[in-house]
Amino acid sequence: MSEQLVYWAYGVVALVGLGVYVGLPKEGRPARGGLTLLVILAAFAGLAFLLHRLLGAAADRAAFYVLALLGVGGAIRVVTHARPVYSALFFVLVVLSTAALIVLVGAQFLGAALVIVYAGAILVTYVFVIMLSQQSSRSGDGLVSVLDYDRNARKPAWASLAGFIFMATLVGVIVERDWRPISDPAVAAMAEKNTLSVGKMLMTDYAVSVELAAVLLMVAMIGAIALARKRLPQAGPAQGPPPGEIGKQVPPF
Amino acid sequence: MPHPTALMVIAALLFGTGVIGFLTRRNMIVMFLSTEIMFQGVLVNLIAMGTLHGNLQGQMMGLFVLVIAAVEAGLGLAIVVMMYRRLGTLDAEAWRQMRG
Repeated sequence: MSEQLVYWAYGVVALVGLGVYVGLPKEGRPARGGLTLLVILAAFAGLAFLLHRLLGAAADRAAFYVLALLGVGGAIRVVTHARPVYSALFFVLVVLSTAALIVLVGAQFLGAALVIVYAGAILVTYVFVIMLSQQSSRSGDGLVSVLDYDRNARKPAWASLAGFIFMATLVGVIVERDWRPISDPAVAAMAEKNTLSVGKMLMTDYAVSVELAAVLLMVAMIGAIALARKRLPQAGPAQGPPPGEIGKQVPPF
Repeated sequence: MPHPTALMVIAALLFGTGVIGFLTRRNMIVMFLSTEIMFQGVLVNLIAMGTLHGNLQGQMMGLFVLVIAAVEAGLGLAIVVMMYRRLGTLDAEAWRQMRG
């Protein structure tokens, strides 16, 4: 790829980082919703051009543009939104758009699994925990809408700078190199029956890994129960008669 | 089929956004959501590499990343609930004394 494209990619990354920075909630500075929107729209325009240069004239590029912009925009909003519930809901948007993106490149099974596991299971857990733990936000005069630590980001400028350097390095390396996909007719045939191939591979080459994953999930389940268990007060002797005395207080017929 | 380079760029942007969120947000739940965004980036990158090499290994790794993400969410949220019960707040700054 051309060197000019690398600088363009740096510009896009800088705009994304700047968009996150101006969007992050911080007390004591004026609300900058308009500026945030403007920066994010500029980042979208740059990203669309970058994708246009990278994709060329692929048949389904319109869908790719829309999904990519939805995913990146949703991710920015997850990070910048001051209310955790809305962050979780924007995360659903990210999950759905990435699932659609990977279905677009032929990974149908993984796309479906992503929607079921992430949007279906993990997100529900998150929403439950948010609901459990935001109850203390009720003060004397009704609900406090946004909590103090949600309104105040911690050193947003430095974090955005670090993220920008990180993303710029990654994207620069990716764009600079000429990645050439291996075109193999056998692969194309495999992509047609994606779920069948994945299932066969899981049960043959990766059978041990599947078992290990099952063990890992069970250990995690036990660990989560053990960690989050509430320690109830032990039932003392005052709670009821001891086992030997149970029948003695019952009056006869 | 779209070119995998574009997918890799998206993956890098998702991962970087997650990094920024993890560094700068103070709500522990939102920090965990940021790690989930990083997981999404890793997953997309694995799929892109899989299409690049023309085999299913990337998708297999993606499936196992999904398992790890589920485990991480379960255990992480259990720890968050425990910490919330102890101090009554989700603020990560409330645990400053753990810096040592």
